[in-house]
Amino acid sequence: MGEVIPDELSDWTDACLRLEDYLNAHRIPDREHVLRLNLALVDEARREHARDPSRTPLDVTMSLATQRVEAWFSRLADDSAPSNPRLAARGRALWFTNDLYEQFPSAFLTEPPPDSLRDAVRSVTLRTGPDLELARLTRQEVDYGPMEEIASGTWQQFSWGHVLRAFLIWVCIFFAAYGSYLAFFQK
Amino acid sequence: MTFRVSTDLPREIVSLRQSLFLATGGGITIAGVWLLYDMYAEGGVGALEWVLMALFVVLFSQIAFGFSIALWGFLIRLRGERFDIMRTIDGLDESTSPGSTAIVMPVYNEDPARIFRGLENMLVSLKETGQSESFDLFILSDSNQPENWVDEECAWASLCSRLQLHGRVYYRKRRVSLHGKSGNIADFCRRWGRRYRYLVILDADSVMTGKTLVRLARAMDANPTVGIIQTAPKIVRGISFFQRLTQFATHTLGPLFAAGSNFWHLAGGSYWGHNAIIRLQPFMDHCVLPELPGRTADDRHILSHDTVEAALMQQAGYQVWFAFNEDGSYEEGPPNLSESLKRDRRWAQGNLQHFWFLLAPRTHFTNRIHMFFGLMAYLSAPLLVIFIVLSAIDYHGKMKAAIYADRLSDPAWTEAWRNGLLLLSITLLMLFGAKLLGWLHTLPRARQFGGMLRMTASTLLETVTAVLLAPILLWFHTKFVVLTLLGLRVSWKTQNRSDSRIPFAQAVREYGMLPLAGAVVLGVTLYWMPVLTLWLSPILAGWLLAVPLVMVTSSDEVGQWLRRRGLLVIPEETAPPEVLRGLDAIPPALVRPGSSSNLPHYGFAQVLLAPWANAVHIALLRRSNARSHYTAALENITQQLLALGPDAIGRRERMALLWNADALATLHRRIWQTPEENLHPWWREAMHACAESPRSRKE
Repeated sequence: MGEVIPDELSDWTDACLRLEDYLNAHRIPDREHVLRLNLALVDEARREHARDPSRTPLDVTMSLATQRVEAWFSRLADDSAPSNPRLAARGRALWFTNDLYEQFPSAFLTEPPPDSLRDAVRSVTLRTGPDLELARLTRQEVDYGPMEEIASGTWQQFSWGHVLRAFLIWVCIFFAAYGSYLAFFQK
Repeated sequence: MTFRVSTDLPREIVSLRQSLFLATGGGITIAGVWLLYDMYAEGGVGALEWVLMALFVVLFSQIAFGFSIALWGFLIRLRGERFDIMRTIDGLDESTSPGSTAIVMPVYNEDPARIFRGLENMLVSLKETGQSESFDLFILSDSNQPENWVDEECAWASLCSRLQLHGRVYYRKRRVSLHGKSGNIADFCRRWGRRYRYLVILDADSVMTGKTLVRLARAMDANPTVGIIQTAPKIVRGISFFQRLTQFATHTLGPLFAAGSNFWHLAGGSYWGHNAIIRLQPFMDHCVLPELPGRTADDRHILSHDTVEAALMQQAGYQVWFAFNEDGSYEEGPPNLSESLKRDRRWAQGNLQHFWFLLAPRTHFTNRIHMFFGLMAYLSAPLLVIFIVLSAIDYHGKMKAAIYADRLSDPAWTEAWRNGLLLLSITLLMLFGAKLLGWLHTLPRARQFGGMLRMTASTLLETVTAVLLAPILLWFHTKFVVLTLLGLRVSWKTQNRSDSRIPFAQAVREYGMLPLAGAVVLGVTLYWMPVLTLWLSPILAGWLLAVPLVMVTSSDEVGQWLRRRGLLVIPEETAPPEVLRGLDAIPPALVRPGSSSNLPHYGFAQVLLAPWANAVHIALLRRSNARSHYTAALENITQQLLALGPDAIGRRERMALLWNADALATLHRRIWQTPEENLHPWWREAMHACAESPRSRKE
């Protein structure tokens, strides 16, 4: 592994700081463990970077860290299945919600993880409910009485054409009646 | 004395009580109509008078029956009630566990901090009873704001962790919020209803003590024929003047109306949709909401489901009781008149739909009465407007005729108007008599309300404000009924229970028509019928003062000023129960670090950046979610989000990301891997907040 040239120094500093933030976000109380992990991951990232200098130090370091963390949490949740984001999320969620980071302050990213940690993670699951017991709900049929028939009859038969025709008929009747009145009764 | 529903409630008692109640309300109504007829008879009863008398029967009966409930409630409170459903568990063995109960809280964008503080207090209280093993809690979310969704999840996960309640407290987010709250509960029943014997339904602001929850479940155990027990939740934690008025009124008048209601309906009670316990199997078998007659799906959907569910439960042969005397059940009121009216508009539409059940052949008598009262609570507003207008026309005509015939000093004429004044006195007595009974009932406990003088002053203040607010309600309820009859729909909106202040511009925009209308009516009556101005003065005062009145009642400062002076105080403030303490505190998971207090989309930032929030969210998304592939459209949204920040995408896009586990996992990795200079400045702040956030640090 060659010397870090001055131009790259600030890039590696950024990568170290970002990695430290990322590890701290996992609430690891053992500060020394975080520093050890940080150093180990950055060393590995430098070797990786030496093989492929086209990538930035931050990209290489954080890719390595996120992959490593995801794989570790996946295995913690279920080591019989291949690593995947969902499995990793399950393991990571339980790491936090069960306060396992407190019970296992130096276990983060250790290989293999302690059996007791694995058992603790697998003893609880985050679920949206207990096991389903599906029930069929059948909508009640209610007899609303005679009003329903009147209303539905109205809705089925209603149209503005009908209203207009009725209106015209009554207007004609009115004028016919009024005309008759004028013609026959008005003195 | 212990009471047994199965043996101690003969039909004769039910019939006697309902007859007494109907006779009281009906008797007062008949007396009022008689006086009105006597008044009209002098000038001749024509078509207009018959219409007016028909309207009067409907309107006056509302006041009469309202007073009747308060009167019987007062008498029952004096001598004690034997037929109290909660007395059925007196003397029973308290060591046995009650039947398995699911407590469900449907939520929809309400304040997550308040929701989870309330739930935490309830869970702690339940644990203290030693019977918490019989209860599971479900938060059923229909929230469609990304911030609320994330906050709810984080608060839930933190709550489970702190109280060690994994597997007892569940959080479920529905993807499609079909049919609002009733649809959410139906969805719960479909999935898990068969696992539980009882269901306790809460609103987002509900709080119940563990003791009350256990007692309700025991009462259900002891009475297999009971389908629903509704508690009488007390309105508490009032901050604004409006909230404090509401909570004071419900504490002084509420107990009378609750006892009076139980007096007449006994086993034929109603259900208010929350703070109640339900027997699940009959609820699932018989209370699935029917469709209403109607043309469209919206027309056919029942909005106010609770009253209908109570009716269906009774049709299925189960009783519905009101635990009117049970403490330990609380809720909060809307912070101002606008929020209260928003709720009223929804209720108005729902209650008007109940018209169909009034005429349905199988509806029980008590349910018809409940539905009729609910319907008339809103329908009476336009009827009152019509009554006032027609009365003015009638009065104007008669006055002109009397002046023309020089009969104003005629003994028959003065006798008629004496009857009118008597009728007015009776109406006022009934309107204010209920308040007086409330005051009398509260008097022995005056110390809990700030002392006798302050309690009396509070009653007067509440009465005067209620009189001034009533014409504003008259205006808006009329508008709601007309809008509903015109077929304009109402959507299920979040109730805002926190922001109270109504600024001047908003008050003018929402209530500006009222002073205008008041000025016009005042001008017209002063010109044509000056005497009528006096009669209409309570209504005109409310309308003319609407804008300042709404602003003042919405004020937190006025509310707190009154509280400091011991006015509108309730017992829960003088001696707060444990379950109501600390509800304003923010749960640890939702505390924002100081540097991010103004960071927009904070929750969204957390779910993308903080490993904990990101993992909890992904872990809760359904595996079978067909849309969880990371599509090109999502990649496009992601790129915009990284380069331009969250304001570059809309709420829908943010929700689409939140529903996609692959997208969230990918984004989480990419953000951490991307150099700051390639990210929008918002991300820098978000990363800083994430490093400081309690979601990243130890709480």
